[in-house]
Amino acid sequence: MKREILRFDDVGLTYHTRRGETRAAEHLSFSVREGEFVAIIGPSGCGKTTLLSLAAGLLSPSEGKVENAGVSFGYMLQRDELFAWRTVEKNLFLPLEIKKMDTAEARKRVRSLAEKYGLADFLQNYPAQLSGGMRQRAALIRTLATDPDVLLLDEPFSALDYQTRLNVCRDVAGIIRREGKTALLITHDISEAISLADRVLVLSARPAKVVAAHEMDFGEENDPLIRREKKNFSGWFELLWKELNG
Amino acid sequence: MKHQITYSREHALFLKKCRRHTVIVQLFRVGVLAALLGLWECVAAFGWADPFLTSSPSRICATVASLYREGTLFYHIGVTLAETIVGFLIAVALGTSIALALWWSESLRQVAEPYIVVLNALPKIALGPLIIIWFGTGSNAIVFMTVLVGLIVSVMHMLGAFVATDKNKLLLLRSMGANKIQILTKLVLPSSRAAFISMLKVNVGMAWIGSIMGEYIVSKAGLGYLIVYGGQVFKLDLVMSATCILCLLAAGMYFLVVLLEKKLVKSAER
Repeated sequence: MKREILRFDDVGLTYHTRRGETRAAEHLSFSVREGEFVAIIGPSGCGKTTLLSLAAGLLSPSEGKVENAGVSFGYMLQRDELFAWRTVEKNLFLPLEIKKMDTAEARKRVRSLAEKYGLADFLQNYPAQLSGGMRQRAALIRTLATDPDVLLLDEPFSALDYQTRLNVCRDVAGIIRREGKTALLITHDISEAISLADRVLVLSARPAKVVAAHEMDFGEENDPLIRREKKNFSGWFELLWKELNG
Repeated sequence: MKHQITYSREHALFLKKCRRHTVIVQLFRVGVLAALLGLWECVAAFGWADPFLTSSPSRICATVASLYREGTLFYHIGVTLAETIVGFLIAVALGTSIALALWWSESLRQVAEPYIVVLNALPKIALGPLIIIWFGTGSNAIVFMTVLVGLIVSVMHMLGAFVATDKNKLLLLRSMGANKIQILTKLVLPSSRAAFISMLKVNVGMAWIGSIMGEYIVSKAGLGYLIVYGGQVFKLDLVMSATCILCLLAAGMYFLVVLLEKKLVKSAER
């Protein structure tokens, strides 16, 4: 069994605003092992994004502990959030600049990632000249630029149209598997979770806590489109649907 | 390797129609100006109105020519232009800096808010007498007035843009571990370029209001001075001449800002 690299231990979080306080999470416990692809689904507004902020250390829990064994994180958001005034290449270098890792070597690695995943011809273009799918791929490569240990994916496909979405989903999943990254995906899309993850966690409505955890049994099959055609896919869908609404 | 793109006949027709439309718009623009000037000239020439009161294009040309012969034309233009540009630059630089400080500290922003609201609503011309006493009757007073008129507008415009920076992009940068300086230089400033340009455009107008208003209150030279002087001695030719020169100068300054915009914001980004 691989080592745990992220662990939530009885985590609670309360948001404070002038209007009052909101319990966003309570008794939230789970862990992610190295190289694992974990998907978290939950009803809308259950604090899924909060959970990623906690994992990345952008928020500190009110109670409990988030242990991350000193690993580094890459955050990928719903929209690509590419900067319109930078070329694609400059966008990919952004995390290097921020983390002061902007060396020739790092740039070379990012460029080779871009080449490997079909962006080589677009490096000098501006994001507005790219298709939605390519932009999202660029966003993933930007996330991978600093070679983070864990990828935090915050509904990264939800802003795309359905066809693009399936394709980009397969694309991104392939890249993450090939690069051997650990990933924590937050989504409200049950079939996306089943088709991508090794393990699916189901969250309750606010305050969020884990109500169920399932290992997916697709063996070595990691292609999300093929998984969708498997017999056990619909079984998982029904079960998770019930748990989400239960 | 370049390859020629061939369009369909329909597309060629469409392009032709677009070009024709552009030509027609340009023709009408020039035509309207020519018609107005012509009408104006006729009003004076045929005695439909007293040219002493309405002036006329030819009288304006004669007035400008005589100012030129006396050697004072470029002196007056230079004085007003210098006051306007110096005031404009100070208002833009100072306004943007203040907006930055207010963006940096939310508490400072909260403290400053009522002051900005009041200063924005205050008619700056009310400060005229104070300005004369503080800065004397030279160009300093007029530059100060120009700054005063443009400053608060610049602050509000830029602060609005800084504060409206995309929340998700901020989250993205914070997730990369960016500090406040990095957030400022990598995101807030570049994403506010469009707002900066539109602030410059607004300020071109503000600067001319400021400098001419300043010259109305106190001046020994400049286009505003010519207008006031012309009004007092009932030389409306002089008033009209100075006003026309102002129109040209303001348009020129606006055009420079548009050039800057083209340089700053590449079309490929949109």
